[in-house]
Amino acid sequence: MTAASGGIECPSPIESAVLMDYWLAMLSSSAEEAVEQHLMMCDECGDRLRESIALAEGLRSLARSGSLQVVITEQFLGHVSQTGLRVREYAPPRGGSVQCTVAADDDLLVARLAVDLTSASRVDLSWCDLGGMELQRMADIPIRADSGGVICQQSITWAKASPTSIMIARLVAVDDEGDERVLGEYTFNHTRTIPGPPG
Amino acid sequence: MYTGLPDADLASRIAAGDREAEAEMCRRMGPRIRLYGLRHLRSSSAADDLVQQVLLKILEALRNARLREADKLAHFVLGTCRMTVLDLRRSSQRHEELLAIYGADLAPAIFPAPTLADRQLARCVQALNERERSVVVMTFYDDRTGAETALALGTSEANIRVIRHRAIQQLRVCMGAAS
Repeated sequence: MTAASGGIECPSPIESAVLMDYWLAMLSSSAEEAVEQHLMMCDECGDRLRESIALAEGLRSLARSGSLQVVITEQFLGHVSQTGLRVREYAPPRGGSVQCTVAADDDLLVARLAVDLTSASRVDLSWCDLGGMELQRMADIPIRADSGGVICQQSITWAKASPTSIMIARLVAVDDEGDERVLGEYTFNHTRTIPGPPG
Repeated sequence: MYTGLPDADLASRIAAGDREAEAEMCRRMGPRIRLYGLRHLRSSSAADDLVQQVLLKILEALRNARLREADKLAHFVLGTCRMTVLDLRRSSQRHEELLAIYGADLAPAIFPAPTLADRQLARCVQALNERERSVVVMTFYDDRTGAETALALGTSEANIRVIRHRAIQQLRVCMGAAS
């Protein structure tokens, strides 16, 4: 431990996972106390905490950028809206379609896919083109059986650069043997309204 | 010159009026105090303020030989950090009240566009499995607690912790490989 100076290796370094939990305020008060006492005497672990903070800040910035494709929850979406971000949502009916676009000042793009999930243990979200060819599969997405659907955040960066096109989202239940059953299909008729060449 | 000096000796020298020992104490404790401030105040500028306030209090105490056990300097600094953060929170309460009244008139925060390193991080996050990515986004968006994320995803807090730890470990490896 570097109580007096740099250059002395810490004999009991705090695990990186614990340092991240400390930064996220997810430690018990006694564990937090122990970490803080250690950090007040150890610059080596302090340096590692700075690395954790840098990663956490990068992830926070990324999460807020809307550029990730990720399944989120109703509570999280409500919280995001309260933080002042402009959220564009589309909720096509099961088996139906919706006309959609994205504007330059939108921050988040969200698809609401209503479906009964009570009979499914594993669900995949498959993105297909108009011909039904699968372009991407989000395997084993997190679901709540009682939620009545799936909320998927689509990358706003990708959507803003996309040309006018049709995308089909399929929610697929996968059983233990790997057999699949389509739970719902949703068509997004995307019209590009932002000028400029497609990305 | 004092770089390798133990904390106890530093404290004794400061009590004896040694200005160079004071400078070393500030150099040594300043970054540690700042980390504490970042964790508890969540603001770089507030953490910088904390460093100044705590160092002033520590220097005053050491100059006046008020630290009874010289080898407990780090504990003394930590205790002073805690008290000062409590004071800062009390004084910021009025500020929060004003924000509650006028906050809606303020423009929403503007978040910077991703840089090249952010794009690497984005690729690493996109490579996580779906559950890991959901947990990471919902946790780090606004420092949500494990309990909140667990409730939202219909799983246990312990499970969320396991998923989060596994995801962070993968991201560290991925970012290390990318850099």
